[in-house]
Amino acid sequence: MSTPMIELKGVNKRYGHVQVIHDVDIAVADGEFTVFVGPSGCGKSTLLRMIAGLETIDGGDLVLNGKRINDVPPDQRGIAMVFQSYALYPHMTVAQNIGFSLDLKKVPKAEISREVGRVAELLQLSELLDRRPAALSGGQRQRVAIGRAIIKRPRVILFDEPLSNLDAALRVQMRAELQKLHQELKPTIVYVTHDQVEAMTMASRIVVLNQGRVEQWDTPIALYSNPVNTFVAGFIGSPKMNLLSGTLGADGDVTSFRADAGWSVPLPGRSLAGKIGERVTLGIRPEEIRPVDDAGKADFAATVAIVERLGAETYLNVTSGDATLLVRVQGDLAMSPGEPVQLAMNHDAFHLFDQSGRVIAA
Amino acid sequence: MAEVRSSRTVLTSITAYGTLIVISIFCLLPFVWMALASVDSNAQLFLKWPDSWTLDNYSRVFNKEDGYRWFGNSLFTVLSATILVIIISGLGGYALSRSRAWWKQPFLYAILLIRVLPSTALLVPLYKILLGFNNAEGAVVRPLFGSASRQVMQIFGFIDGYLGLIIVLTAGQLPLALWIMKVFFDGVPKDFEEAAILDGATLVQRIRRVLIPLALPGLAAAGLFTFMSAWGDFLLPLILLSSAELSTLPLGLFRAFLRVNEIDYGLLAAIAVVYLIPAVIAFSFARRFLVQTFSGGVKG
Repeated sequence: MSTPMIELKGVNKRYGHVQVIHDVDIAVADGEFTVFVGPSGCGKSTLLRMIAGLETIDGGDLVLNGKRINDVPPDQRGIAMVFQSYALYPHMTVAQNIGFSLDLKKVPKAEISREVGRVAELLQLSELLDRRPAALSGGQRQRVAIGRAIIKRPRVILFDEPLSNLDAALRVQMRAELQKLHQELKPTIVYVTHDQVEAMTMASRIVVLNQGRVEQWDTPIALYSNPVNTFVAGFIGSPKMNLLSGTLGADGDVTSFRADAGWSVPLPGRSLAGKIGERVTLGIRPEEIRPVDDAGKADFAATVAIVERLGAETYLNVTSGDATLLVRVQGDLAMSPGEPVQLAMNHDAFHLFDQSGRVIAA
Repeated sequence: MAEVRSSRTVLTSITAYGTLIVISIFCLLPFVWMALASVDSNAQLFLKWPDSWTLDNYSRVFNKEDGYRWFGNSLFTVLSATILVIIISGLGGYALSRSRAWWKQPFLYAILLIRVLPSTALLVPLYKILLGFNNAEGAVVRPLFGSASRQVMQIFGFIDGYLGLIIVLTAGQLPLALWIMKVFFDGVPKDFEEAAILDGATLVQRIRRVLIPLALPGLAAAGLFTFMSAWGDFLLPLILLSSAELSTLPLGLFRAFLRVNEIDYGLLAAIAVVYLIPAVIAFSFARRFLVQTFSGGVKG
């Protein structure tokens, strides 16, 4: 990676005695679309607001384009932000809202209106310039908020959960529009969301945050394929990865996973010597489990609890001992609750985590 | 069966509307008397149709009596207090809304207590305090302005001066206005200001271009409440003002009523109408803003 656009080095944040951000180290390359994702209260919005300059930084360095900007005022950072509530001024028209930052800089009127026109055309807002925000739909307001950000030609645009106020259909559409916008203008984007689907579909890289700490920072597919701990494993991917607790056992030369429900599966090709008898967690994605007719090919038996038939695929909620697992089957599958089912797992798709939740390397 | 029910409904309606009409007449009667008496050449204490229609009563309010001066004094003191309340409650309400200080809740309830206490009970200490200020001010003003000091004190004095009345009116109306503005700013998301900060707005620009326009309905409501309440205040001007030049409308009305030999009902009614008009105008403005302010915040 060449010089990153944004770099956070050991960044900390405290509210009184409560530390909300713990030693965050990440770098965002120029033109990259980075998504901060995590459950509510994980500190992702705080981190974003620290980059924007709306929150102070209590420790560490925030570097923008090679320059430390911890103490640079927000408006001089070359950063624009799109707020969750859009924060469109209700007393201004769309054109005035978009051109507000230029107006504050005393840019000549003619130039403002030219710039507003350019942005409005890009965002298909040209027809709406004289309207007030109250007369716009949710999606239109969203676009005005984006317009207000990009008119400044910022090096970095920050998005704070921008799609959470939109209905599901509009969200999918805006997701596509944002990606298109990113490809056209190539700004560096940092985007906060609690929705891992948004993160997976838009990001070049995802930062998974939990309780103020970076759990993992990588490309979407890398996070999906190689989660470093049970938190990321459970957070990335929809539906969630199944996490089963058990112990490591040995069947001759081959180490095996013995589920608490009683069954066991071999774990070939892993060097787990010295760990025999330890408590571990086995992770397996729902699409890597399939029902089989022949008990001989199955890894374990379970009972169907809930069946969700979506047409193209079927979700089976099954119970095995105390554990509940989700199985994702391609195509329609007519099963009913209470039925016994034989399940086979893809043994190459196992994720193994130790007692503290960290992944055990293959 | 259906007929019984419908006749009962009719009876209920008649009773309800009848009661309401009686109450309305009872409420309206004083105003009707006032309006009629003010244009009656021979107004009496009882309600009657004017003997002959005339505007003479009004012309006497302004030509024979000090009508212009009373009206001007009232308008000046009440508008000054209103402007002061708007500025202070705007800034204070914002601070009270955004602050996380521990004293915020106690303070808000304390100022409400001031509002609840009857101001009449506090008149003596208030007068005493203002008198102290006034004497101190007089001691400075008299040597400086000599013979003109009476005029100076009539404007800037705490007792028998515009300033004293304006300050006391302002202080009396501030608690409610602060509450209105605090609650109003609670409904204005911080995002608006933060967006303005990122757009490069200075503090003054944020206040002028973002906060004031957003707070306008709240400020209007606070200002109109203040205006209406201060306009109707009689006791404070009565206690604090004694010079005839400073007399306000309610004082003029009161003194005209007190004249022993001639009770001129036409004149009294005309003064009362003049006194009412600004309040009615203020209320008609207020209705629009009150609905917006008390039905919740700013719509984006």
